[in-house]
Amino acid sequence: MSEDGIHAVGAYAPRLRVSAREFADAWGSFEASGIETTAVPEADEDALTMGWEAAWRALAADGVDAADVDWLGFATTNPPMAEADPTVRLGSFLGVDEDATHQTFTGSTRAGTRALFAALDADTDGLALVVAADCPQGEPSDAHEHAAGAGAAAVLVGPDAPATITDRAEHAEPYPGTRFRRAGNDEVEGIEVTSYDRAAFRETLAAAVDAVDAGGLDAAAVQAPDGGLPYRAAGAMGLDDGTIHTCATVQDLGDTAAASVPLSLATALADGNQTVLGASYGSGGGADAFVVEADESVPSELAVDGGTDLTYAEYLRRRGEVTSDEPNGGAAYVSVPTWKRSIPQRHRLVAGRCPECGSLAFPPEGACADCRSLVEFEPVELPDTGEVEAVTAVSRGGEPPEFAVQQQKSGEYGVAIAAFEADGESVSMPLQVVGTETSPDVGDAVATVIRRIYKQEGVIRYGRKARIDDG
Amino acid sequence: MRDAYLIGAGQSDYGSFPGESYRSLFRTAFENARDSVPDGIESADVDEAVVGTLGVGGRQLGLAGPAVTEHVGLHGIPVTRVENACAASGYSVRQGVQAIRSGMADVVLASGVEIMTDVSGDAVRYWLGVSGETEWERLSGTTFAGVYAQMASRHMQEYGTTREQLSHVAVKNHENGATNPHAQLGFECSLEDAMDAPTVADPLNLYHCCPTTDGAACVLLASEDVVENYTDDPIRVAGVGAGSDRVGLFQRDTYTAVPASQYAADRAYEMAGYGPDDLDFAEVHDCFAIAELMAYSDIGLCDPEEAGEFVASGTTKRDGEMPVNTSGGLKSKGHPIGATGAGQVVEAFKQLSGEAGERQLDDPQVGLTHNVGGSGGAAVVHLFERGEAPSASGSASGRGGVVSGPRDTGGDAA
Repeated sequence: MSEDGIHAVGAYAPRLRVSAREFADAWGSFEASGIETTAVPEADEDALTMGWEAAWRALAADGVDAADVDWLGFATTNPPMAEADPTVRLGSFLGVDEDATHQTFTGSTRAGTRALFAALDADTDGLALVVAADCPQGEPSDAHEHAAGAGAAAVLVGPDAPATITDRAEHAEPYPGTRFRRAGNDEVEGIEVTSYDRAAFRETLAAAVDAVDAGGLDAAAVQAPDGGLPYRAAGAMGLDDGTIHTCATVQDLGDTAAASVPLSLATALADGNQTVLGASYGSGGGADAFVVEADESVPSELAVDGGTDLTYAEYLRRRGEVTSDEPNGGAAYVSVPTWKRSIPQRHRLVAGRCPECGSLAFPPEGACADCRSLVEFEPVELPDTGEVEAVTAVSRGGEPPEFAVQQQKSGEYGVAIAAFEADGESVSMPLQVVGTETSPDVGDAVATVIRRIYKQEGVIRYGRKARIDDG
Repeated sequence: MRDAYLIGAGQSDYGSFPGESYRSLFRTAFENARDSVPDGIESADVDEAVVGTLGVGGRQLGLAGPAVTEHVGLHGIPVTRVENACAASGYSVRQGVQAIRSGMADVVLASGVEIMTDVSGDAVRYWLGVSGETEWERLSGTTFAGVYAQMASRHMQEYGTTREQLSHVAVKNHENGATNPHAQLGFECSLEDAMDAPTVADPLNLYHCCPTTDGAACVLLASEDVVENYTDDPIRVAGVGAGSDRVGLFQRDTYTAVPASQYAADRAYEMAGYGPDDLDFAEVHDCFAIAELMAYSDIGLCDPEEAGEFVASGTTKRDGEMPVNTSGGLKSKGHPIGATGAGQVVEAFKQLSGEAGERQLDDPQVGLTHNVGGSGGAAVVHLFERGEAPSASGSASGRGGVVSGPRDTGGDAA
């Protein structure tokens, strides 16, 4: 067992919430017990963008630069593409060194703790960053969909940490059918044999937890497919309900799948709990258990509060259940190789400084706009915040076709031109505005975030958007 | 260098015409231009043709020029297709003037055509979006409505321009368009109509945006050596100016002006030896209401902070001191992208020939046309004068004390 421990935690959940009441009004009943609201990703959010949100917060909490990370793991049951490594893009969003280990964990709701175990086992000199993010879906009438939430957590792992992992264990036992997603499908489902499902969950978890030394627990971060199962299995794991509830997120965020235990762990550590059990379950089935001892407080930055309550109709729009496919007309054609060339700008706002006159250019290509010299620009990473210079809010009919579906899902969106300063020079760029308030005023401060821009040739393009910077 | 003259100009109706093709519309415009030449002209007299088109919908993207000129029996002559987005045919007129002034041609057909309404609204938005800066500006979620709305937001913040002032542009241009039988939206609108329309891209609403349009326009230009064969009352191309700029708004030095328009106006005024005070009317590029307000200051009619009041006060109405867009402008007459610049010259020709019917101004001598590509990536300005050079009003040439462009890029004038 390595002496590596936890340096910092970060967490993120989309601001949108739909309540159990909205489901009950629509369907006559709500099928996910113990859940009051679920978090709903915006049309341009997915596991990768949420993972970035949690990841930068974990790094910021500890004041660590992404360049100090030499092992990056990303865990989700919902990678944005069935094939194509998402972790490489996550590393690029963050600025993780290209020679660092990039590893993806998927296929099970315990992928998040699998990533944590892999980080602890990794033989690295520097820091390891474990990022778990998820956004499961089900059929609209299905209990899995009623429970389905969204969220992400990141755990920064390395030596000489304020919290250490004192014990860990795992258990695997074949339990087919408890929760699965068919190849090519977006929706999770199950065989819905309640006693079988509960037994698989309870017995697998209990076996893993039984193998660790878990005395004097202050909190237990237990896998939460809904808000009932963890408590049904509490007795078998030797836990009381309060220990689970103290760091549970399922009642507010819903089922966060591979991010479930990492989110509860981050919550427990952020709340100052000293001895914390992690216990994850993945269908198939398998379970991981580990114990964290926090001798000192663990730096944390969590952004998991809700901001906007959705009606069920608005929820269906966000899920794409009542929206059309991409309209005819076609998207702006930016070839993938062209996009690839602009990735430092798309992912990290890398501008260029003119070696002749010192002014900034964005994107940094062609002649310097100020002195008109044809130069090779020196890379300059822009700050995360800028100031709105001009702005509009685009209503239905004002959008390019590639944004029509996003607008059907999320409604009117803002687009600002914002100026960013570096060393006394300023450069501007157009950015879509996301968040609760999408129409900033000229002069407002905005911060940039990673979101989906659009998809063309089947390839999802990620880049920066802006949100009003309220500190 | 010899002068070029405007001897004829005509357009098709502007509107939505499912029964027409881009070629049939071009034919109508060509026939109207040919028939407008006072002493007549034969097709065989045309030495060269220039055709402006964007190619909305993707039809005949290659060889779009010969595809329309062969349709009107002009095959054989040199034909060049010009694409500068919404300034395509303004630039085709400029190309025609260049051909004549260089001595390479005596009679040139300068023209434009576009069909925009036989594809879906989404497809039109695709095509409108391809002339903006594609990789960053469009992928922030804007078409031109959004980009001009950003300019409007800044204009309102810097100069106190109001939504009501923007709406006055629509009211005035519809009032004019209602008197133009070729106009697409030839009806009047009230200030309330223009204020209360649904938002397209805040602060711009539907009445602050021009329509999409099918249409064609043709202009016939002749050299000083042959002009007397066609008219006894020649209209001289007194000034031509053009300019370009960064394609994306975010890359420019200002969001409340179109520097390319300023470069173009400066160069046209310099060539003509005129200033804004010498104008009797102007046809400006009002693709969006804010674009007309910016045009006022970019061509030197007023300072930018005065632009809102300039329209609200009635100064630019048909009976005002400085009539702007007597044709109805892009807002009411319509905006068939590739045809728009040549279509503006059609209005200048009619006004200067006394053929503008109900909207005829009282004996105008000098008119200006102003055509912008995209949100200002390119612009072209022409000055036309009737008869002998009028005595200048005494104002110095150029836009005078009005805001100058961010940098002097040298003259286009001969």
